[in-house]
Amino acid sequence: MSDILLFKDIDEPGLATLEVYAKRGGYESLRKALEMTPEEVLAQLESSGLRGRGGAGFAMGKKVSFLPKGSIDKYLVCNADESEPGTFKDRELMQKSPHMLIEGIVIASYAAGASRSFIYIRGEYVRQADMLDAALAEATQAGYIGEDILKSGHSLSLVVHRGAGAYICGEETGLLDSLEGKRGNPRLKPPFPANQGLYQGPTLINNVETLATVPAIIAMGGEQYAKLGTDTSKGTKLVSVSGHVQRPGNYEIELGTPSREIIYGLAGGPPEGRQVKCWFPGGSSAPVLTAGDLDLPYDFDSMAKAGSMLGSGAIIVVDDSTPILDVALKVAKFYRHESCGKCTPCREGTNWTVKMLERIDNGTATPMDIEIMASVQEHIIGNCLCVLGDAMAMPIGSMIAKFRDEFETHIEQARARNDLAPAEPEPALAGGVSAHA
Amino acid sequence: MSVKRFEGGSRVPGWYEPVDPAKDAALVPSPQEVQVPAELRGEIERHMALYPDSRSAALPALAAAQRVHGWCSPEAIDQVACVMALTPAYLDAVATFYDMLDTEPVGRHSVYVCTNISCSLRGAGELYEAMRDGAGDDPEFNVRAFECLGACDIAPMASVDGVYVGPLAPEDVPRLLEDVRAGRPVLADKQLSTRIVADPNANSRAYPSHPIEGGES
Amino acid sequence: MPRPEPKTITFTIDGREVQAPENAMLVDAAKLGDVEIPVFCYEPKLGNPVGACRMCLVEIEGIPKLQTGCSTPVKDGMVVNTESERVKTAQQSVVEFLLINHPLDCPVCDKGGECPLQDITFGWGPGKTRFVEEKRHFVKPLELSPEIAIDRERCILCYRCVRFSQEISEDYQLVLLERGAHSYVSTFDGHPYVAPFSGNIVELCPVGALTSREYRFRARPWDIEDAGSVCTLCPAQCNVTLTVRDERILRVLARDHSEVDDGWLCDRGRFAYPRLGGEGRVTEPLLRDGGELRPVSWERALEEAATRLKRAGAATGAIVGGGATNEEGLLLSRIMREGLDSPHIDSRVAGTLPLELHRALAEPNLQASVSDLEFAHAVLVLDCNPIEDAAILDLRLRKGVRRHGMKLVPATAADLLDERSAQELAAKLRATGPADDAGAEVVVLWGERLTAGPDGARAAQALLDLASTLNLADTKGAGLLEIPARANGRGLREAGVLPNAGPGLSALAEDGLDAIGIARALGEGELSCAYLLGADRAGEEWERALERATTVISHATFLTDALREHADVVFPAGAYAEKEGTIVHPDGRIQRLRQAAAHPGECRAEWQVLAELARRIGLDVEIQSGAMASQQLFDAVPRYAGLTLEEIGGRGVKPHEREVAVAS
Ligand SMILES: Cc1cc2nc3c(=O)[nH]c(=O)nc-3n(C[C@H](O)[C@H](O)[C@H](O)COP(=O)(O)O)c2cc1C
Ligand code: SF4
Ligand code: FES
Repeated sequence: MSDILLFKDIDEPGLATLEVYAKRGGYESLRKALEMTPEEVLAQLESSGLRGRGGAGFAMGKKVSFLPKGSIDKYLVCNADESEPGTFKDRELMQKSPHMLIEGIVIASYAAGASRSFIYIRGEYVRQADMLDAALAEATQAGYIGEDILKSGHSLSLVVHRGAGAYICGEETGLLDSLEGKRGNPRLKPPFPANQGLYQGPTLINNVETLATVPAIIAMGGEQYAKLGTDTSKGTKLVSVSGHVQRPGNYEIELGTPSREIIYGLAGGPPEGRQVKCWFPGGSSAPVLTAGDLDLPYDFDSMAKAGSMLGSGAIIVVDDSTPILDVALKVAKFYRHESCGKCTPCREGTNWTVKMLERIDNGTATPMDIEIMASVQEHIIGNCLCVLGDAMAMPIGSMIAKFRDEFETHIEQARARNDLAPAEPEPALAGGVSAHA
Repeated sequence: MSVKRFEGGSRVPGWYEPVDPAKDAALVPSPQEVQVPAELRGEIERHMALYPDSRSAALPALAAAQRVHGWCSPEAIDQVACVMALTPAYLDAVATFYDMLDTEPVGRHSVYVCTNISCSLRGAGELYEAMRDGAGDDPEFNVRAFECLGACDIAPMASVDGVYVGPLAPEDVPRLLEDVRAGRPVLADKQLSTRIVADPNANSRAYPSHPIEGGES
Repeated sequence: MPRPEPKTITFTIDGREVQAPENAMLVDAAKLGDVEIPVFCYEPKLGNPVGACRMCLVEIEGIPKLQTGCSTPVKDGMVVNTESERVKTAQQSVVEFLLINHPLDCPVCDKGGECPLQDITFGWGPGKTRFVEEKRHFVKPLELSPEIAIDRERCILCYRCVRFSQEISEDYQLVLLERGAHSYVSTFDGHPYVAPFSGNIVELCPVGALTSREYRFRARPWDIEDAGSVCTLCPAQCNVTLTVRDERILRVLARDHSEVDDGWLCDRGRFAYPRLGGEGRVTEPLLRDGGELRPVSWERALEEAATRLKRAGAATGAIVGGGATNEEGLLLSRIMREGLDSPHIDSRVAGTLPLELHRALAEPNLQASVSDLEFAHAVLVLDCNPIEDAAILDLRLRKGVRRHGMKLVPATAADLLDERSAQELAAKLRATGPADDAGAEVVVLWGERLTAGPDGARAAQALLDLASTLNLADTKGAGLLEIPARANGRGLREAGVLPNAGPGLSALAEDGLDAIGIARALGEGELSCAYLLGADRAGEEWERALERATTVISHATFLTDALREHADVVFPAGAYAEKEGTIVHPDGRIQRLRQAAAHPGECRAEWQVLAELARRIGLDVEIQSGAMASQQLFDAVPRYAGLTLEEIGGRGVKPHEREVAVAS
């Protein structure tokens, strides 16, 4: 690839040390940024068109600009929870180039006027957290973190905070509660974190990759950066490709690259003789696409237009050797396990969905159950406190919509295995009693 | 694969337990009641000092107590509660929310086998079975099926006492367990940290077909 | 702190234009237009909405997603729809989700018939279920505390109970453990949930998951009647709704009064009553006969008491207990002063306080209200321990600190009596106010014991000095709030049950002995007869006093050792749910007791006994009913002039505010 920014030196031995990072031009962007005013830095971020890399794709510069001005305590939180199934790009950055992230954090905090920052890293990433701690010590020693950074008057503290295993702590408000030492239950929005976030103070939350891109933007200038990618999806993106491909791994691509080129060109596609059956374009929360969608450009809008989303940039490929029911069950069980339990539709809906899928698999379901399952997904979508419920309901809904025949066949075959008669059109169990006529 | 069930069919032990009316209410423990090892106290206090609100240290404090006690036992929770001046119930609520904090006794060595989608597509089910069989009833091991650990590039994989290894085949299991028992670096050649990003062939290998099964989440 | 003044806006709901205070939550604003939005987790008393149950989803024009009405502040011009297909589907699906793991064991559930889950299922549910999987099943109920049982099958995880424990009583003992569908309400490691206010969670639970063990299976909602009254177990005088079945009190529930209890009850108030009404009560008149108290007829008891009183005459000393009503206090003081010519009557324990001080402390513009505790800049907690002296105020103070940033400053009499520390205290309190010179709104919450003992008068004066230093009389939202030592301490003083004051703190021709003096005089034989109206006095001094007294007459609900040993005549007395009359809240609010339960056995109303006794000693008090007793009180206390029981009603009346209202 020609336009590699984040992975430019990624395999350079010792890149995780300040010495090597600095030799490769590290912290030059910070110096450059601190010579500008915070407003100028913000302008660079806005003109870059950088959209959040954590899942929602919200314009980063705009998010920074939402923070109230003035000398109140403001916070910056880096979301390093990376728990979306199929996603492992932030891990690579933190482990191999932790200083790039720290540099990005300092620059962003300068633009946002934040004086305290935290990296919330998932507890499973033991090594990556250790690397960050080591890099933080070096950066502090060198004066990139602390009081009056490089005599700019800007001060910033940074704490690497380790989570303890909960997907919901990747959701920004669940993360904030967790960082405050509570159960990681999401909060009602509004208020949004930009107004009332950590400790009720204004808070900027961004994903690792988003923040790690900031030094590159400052180095090349926002407008230059914006020339990469498409009109509405600027820049490069780290894509984690996994599942049924021959070369799973992280790849940095320019947004808008055809999906086929990523899945087949870079990751090698499924092995000989197998075909892509479906693929998740943005982690397991994204509705599945099929082989017919492979020629879509890989960017925010094309994925949205196809009814899915770019999400965290994690492509999971499933080939034709795998029953769709297995995929659905795996996905549904994950969300049931990770539902925080605070809101009704998510807590009960994920549980119910798993039970229905299990019955389809063990041969005690009827086609009616597909109907019910589809309607349960509809009842979850849009009705939950956060979008974890939707994150199950949307992919499951998409699988039902796109592979209904296969579900039906699965039901019939499983029933036959159990020596059950083919399902009646109107099973006795459905219907129920009407409480008020 | 069957799920561990408690009395009454519950997956959660507490569902079935009445309180013991002979006990007192569980308030913030006083330093007179609870002895906290000095080192643990020091570590917790260091964490508390890092945050504008010391309560933020709940997770690191519980993790530290778990390292000392092997799990977040009632005793461990009482100690954290005492240092942080919180009720033990508060900390229990936190501890039970997170997968990595154990509120039941477990083996000393944690082996988290990722059984989420990407690993499952490449044989995590088999691997998990092999790992459970391999560890058998060795009380030193805490073999668990885990949600996506963020290393699908080395699928199927496992995190062994925090060290990521993969791609693993069932055949790797005996050597893996031996390494742990012997206190050696686990599967040195298969550790994630040695993987080169720019070498896309690093993980090229065949994978079994129709592999998604097992691995309770 | 100035309380927010809401402005009124107009919004549209289901096609109707409705006026509501701006920023009221939609579910509350909707009620003003007679639209009900169903809720489970929303309970404004518990603090900010959490939006967990999703029952209250509504459609708001201009917002693509459905919004939770419980957390959406209403704005001018908002257009809300609660009847569209989309909203209906959402409501039905939330009910369906909630019911899939609910056991639907309504026929054997105490909540059945008064259950929000039943009501909402009926009103907004789909009417049928499509759930055919197995529900979760567990042994139930389990003990959660000596008072409360928990049924985890029924729990809908609405978070109300744990929010109460965490954010209202702040005991943080009750929590949710585990995650997702496995979450459950519990305590730490099998410890019982024992806390001063734990019982409120039973009332908060919208299903039958948390039930009172005492009340379990005692009645169905259609067997019972509600009766409003006021708890007189402590000076906080929380408003209660009594659950009555067959003239007996089975249960005590809160009756939300934001100026009294904020809708909470302490566990004593909630759980003690059924026991108070029950076993061991004195239910018939008793007379000492052959060294032992034996049941006798009313006629004999009254005659004996009257004879003895007449004989003792001015050598009688009377003590009135804190549970007595104003009417009872006034009646007894008339018996003493007019019938027996004895000025020796007291309702305080602390000793005499000069009349001017009583009056100064009762100055209307110095009186703080309970809600002032919440909004003040600072509350000086002076010589009292709210959790013990008037439990419910503890919650109010916590609320003030948590929600409005009120500062709590504890102090004792000693801090006030020393000039330097008094000055420092005043400075510290003043500093809590705004930077401009608007003046800090300070409430002094002080215990009656401040004025006890030899330094009592000095301490009272020092308190008045502090009040004037801080200009409390002229500062809105500031003032003094006394916690009397006994439940109706304030009312009895206003009724004139003091050795140095008559009704309305009027001066007397001749002052009598105070409680301490009466005990001493009895002990030394200067007085010969002790009249104890619901008063239970202990201590060496009283032991000796009762021992020496020729006659001890008492009204009692339960026999104490002292009475068993020394009383000559015991009249059975009513517990508060059996009483009628008025009492006065520490902030001056007159509240009304209404008889909710029948007197047990032979027991009669006190006013009736006292009036009869008066007649027998030759004093016609002209009282034939409880209402007449109240009327006499209103006539006797100048500030109560013109009051009626109807006006007092269920919410009480503050005479000093009424004066302002009548005058303007
Ligand atoms: C259930 C759930 C899980 C999420 N997990 C993550 C995560 O692991 N990492 C992440 O960066 N964002 C995650 N997000 C997105 C965050 O809420 C948030 O949008 C993001 O951190 C914002 O950063 P960005 O603007 O830089 O993308 C998650 C969102 C949801 C709803
Ligand atoms: S026990 Fe009752 S109040 Fe508590 S969460 Fe369950 S349903 Fe709500
Ligand atoms: S009442 Fe609004 S979400 Fe529960």
